[in-house]
Amino acid sequence: MRLTRLTYRGVIFLAYLVMLLPVLLLVVTSFFKDTIITFPPSGLSLEWYANAIDREEFLSGFIVSFKVAALATLIGVPLGMAAALALTRSAIRGKQAITTFLLGPIIVPGIVAGTALYLTFLVAQNQLDMDIVGTLPGLVAAHILLTIPWTVRVATAGLQGLDKSVEEAAANLGARPWTVFMRVTLPMMRPAIVAASMFSFIQSFENLELTLLLVGPGMSTLPIAMLNYLEFQIDPTLAAVATIQVVVIAAMMLITDRYVKLSRIV
Amino acid sequence: MAKLVLPAGLLVLLLLGGPMLLMLRYSFNEYDPLYIMQQAFTFENYAKAVVDPYYQKILMTTITVALTCTVLTTLLAYGPAYWLARMESRWKSKLTILTMFPLLVGGVVRSAGYLALLSTTGLINATLLGLGIISEPLTLLYTPGAVIFATVGIVLPYMILTLASVIESIPRQVEDAAANLGARPATAFFRVLVPLSLPGVLAGASLVFILCMNAYATPLLLGGPQFQMMAPAVYEQFAKASNWPFGAALAFILLMVTVILTTVGSSVIAKRYKAG
Repeated sequence: MRLTRLTYRGVIFLAYLVMLLPVLLLVVTSFFKDTIITFPPSGLSLEWYANAIDREEFLSGFIVSFKVAALATLIGVPLGMAAALALTRSAIRGKQAITTFLLGPIIVPGIVAGTALYLTFLVAQNQLDMDIVGTLPGLVAAHILLTIPWTVRVATAGLQGLDKSVEEAAANLGARPWTVFMRVTLPMMRPAIVAASMFSFIQSFENLELTLLLVGPGMSTLPIAMLNYLEFQIDPTLAAVATIQVVVIAAMMLITDRYVKLSRIV
Repeated sequence: MAKLVLPAGLLVLLLLGGPMLLMLRYSFNEYDPLYIMQQAFTFENYAKAVVDPYYQKILMTTITVALTCTVLTTLLAYGPAYWLARMESRWKSKLTILTMFPLLVGGVVRSAGYLALLSTTGLINATLLGLGIISEPLTLLYTPGAVIFATVGIVLPYMILTLASVIESIPRQVEDAAANLGARPATAFFRVLVPLSLPGVLAGASLVFILCMNAYATPLLLGGPQFQMMAPAVYEQFAKASNWPFGAALAFILLMVTVILTTVGSSVIAKRYKAG
């Protein structure tokens, strides 16, 4: 009995250690002085952060990733919210099938969807006589495939609990449909919108597989820049870049959690 | 109101449905070194992927790694999921966020973390050397074990969160009833909790299996040059070999194998448990 308890606690500890230690390790090593990551370090330093910002590929990768994630979120979240609203509120036939279809992009493996998009973009390039692969619009188009399904997934859960009678009351009291939507429905949807935006942004920002073939010279995302760097070495500069990303994402999660309880979403 | 589905639906159709059909068509074309490919209708690419020992091995490695990771993840995740689901303190929501956090940090950053953990100068070797347990650094990196370890760590949060939400929906009284009726903890666990949480196990395991089958960064960074899995192999056909028809066929084989194994696997487990 005591042994079972001990194993139970041991497994819990081990699971969290395996999950969190690598992230923690990167944050810690980003302050190490030595060029090659060694334990214990000979001293501490902040120079790798300066080094990280100086490296063109990381800075431009960060900017590209940020732009792509922001634009894809801006386009995908309203469309996804509209679809989620229709799926939870109206009586369309084949709801389940439509939901599965809209979630399709996150069910189909990123590497498969990414290659299919790459081939399609090449055909379109030939037909239209313009560049798509390796351009910002191309990347944004691809990442809409992340932001739409994540919005649908997060929002359908969030919208299910909304009380329809409040809207009906507003309508009965003489509010026009547009007023009802702007003054009642939209404010009620705010937590779902915030959560969907955060998930969409982060999923786009950190995506690797879907993006791999769609980047081009000068138009690469941060995860791909990091991966290319990692194929040669792991050093404190990379740890510094990773730490910046970790801090940005943690901040986004904490801010979002003030609006909507994250623990209720996934 | 129903029309609100249309914009999102059309975009998914345009950006996913269409491209998948195009790739399916390409997978039946013939490779041509000069023009990349010729219009044709041949099953040659699929045959090559299935018959060629080189690609057979890649597919087998991928399936073995994915199955191993799925089993290990399930075993490792059940305890923490139960703990999280049954927790009643104010820490619960904080811990849920902490569990979600690694997911949102992203695979590349986390793979880098596993590199720093497992490399010859990494934390594990440094600790063991420092304690005098070993005199030479162990080769932990560039082994199948490293890939499995890192992949399990990366997919673990998905499993814990999926399982926890299902366990949470099982009333605590059911467990109490089993105990009151004289079931020992082990019996209560295997005969009551596991069957009731089976939907969660299956949902989590399917998700994890799909993610493992398609892992890209971990095999590339932690497996070393000799270790080959499907996702990097697909990428290579387009980025380096420029054999589109064959790459397209490989992508579809990966998709098909994943879908078939996921559906067959879940229905077999579900049936077995119902019969038992």
